[in-house]
Amino acid sequence: MVASGKYLNRSRQARATSLVGDVNGKVAPDFDLASLDGKRVKLSDYRGKAVLLNFWATWCTPCKEEMPWFVDLQKKYGNDGLVVVGVAMDDSEASRIAQFAGEMGVNYPVLLGTDKVSEDYGNVAYLPTSFYIDRDGKFVGKGVGLVGRQVVEDNVRKALASRVVGVNGPVNHSDPKVAAQRPTAQ
Amino acid sequence: MKPTRFVAILAVLFAASLIAQEPGTRVPSVTFAPVGKVQVRPGGSAAVQMDFRVGTDFHINSNQPKSELLIPTQLKLSAGPPVSIASLKYPDGDDVSFPFAPGEKLSVYSGDFSITTVVKAAASARPGDYAVNGELRFQACDRSACYPPRAIPVKFTVSVVGK
Repeated sequence: MVASGKYLNRSRQARATSLVGDVNGKVAPDFDLASLDGKRVKLSDYRGKAVLLNFWATWCTPCKEEMPWFVDLQKKYGNDGLVVVGVAMDDSEASRIAQFAGEMGVNYPVLLGTDKVSEDYGNVAYLPTSFYIDRDGKFVGKGVGLVGRQVVEDNVRKALASRVVGVNGPVNHSDPKVAAQRPTAQ
Repeated sequence: MKPTRFVAILAVLFAASLIAQEPGTRVPSVTFAPVGKVQVRPGGSAAVQMDFRVGTDFHINSNQPKSELLIPTQLKLSAGPPVSIASLKYPDGDDVSFPFAPGEKLSVYSGDFSITTVVKAAASARPGDYAVNGELRFQACDRSACYPPRAIPVKFTVSVVGK
């Protein structure tokens, strides 16, 4: 059986957060989380890309329904600059989460959630919860609970439509120099 | 009251009800009904029924969910000497399909359910009241979202009465 005592403590000790209500236009908090393969990953590593940040858990059946959509969207929009990032809020071992993700055919990075990232993102207590972050690192959407695939895809397109604002104005992502500077998804 | 104001109030109430129904905006509740008087004689035993209620629109996994990934409902009870917990019996879950997984049946509790236990008193037990404490651990979902595992306290008193 999956142990989840830490999550019990997490929900009891949740602290106040400034990230409540409509998040659109706010800067997404940076994080520094371990991936399933032990690397450290920051949100800021993906600056210049559109990010679908999905909080989930292996014990969350609705979360499981979304995962094939995310796999498809990563394939469909990956070359346009989309990175789906999963944040597993399980308390079980990384190997178990990795096994589950493998069985689901997950083709995007999965990070191990912490109390801090949960708090920074508004005390994420309901799963699935997804945040859509534009290329500038600002929220353009949020979804709580299972929503339709079309809603997810519409939010992904919104995130992709944004352009990084540089000192000289919007950056053209078709510029090979800019493309070369993009971080690579795992 | 002017009709326009009445309509405005209705509109506000309607908007509030929509917000209240948004997934993830409510905390799932499971409540424990107080247990009546439990009496047992030294050396004897008594069955105790513990009644729980899952809040409207929520369900929790049964004690035997259909996947090992799902978190089962579990009751942990502890009693000190001279009282002991002899057994726990969980009800079967209801096999239900939900909109978030129409092709899958989950074993769940919703509405009212009861767990029964048998408490025993040692033959040497002195008359008196003895506390039984514990917690029910569960993980709830509604029709589109799941909520972190939670636990609620469970307690009752066993009265050992003279022979």
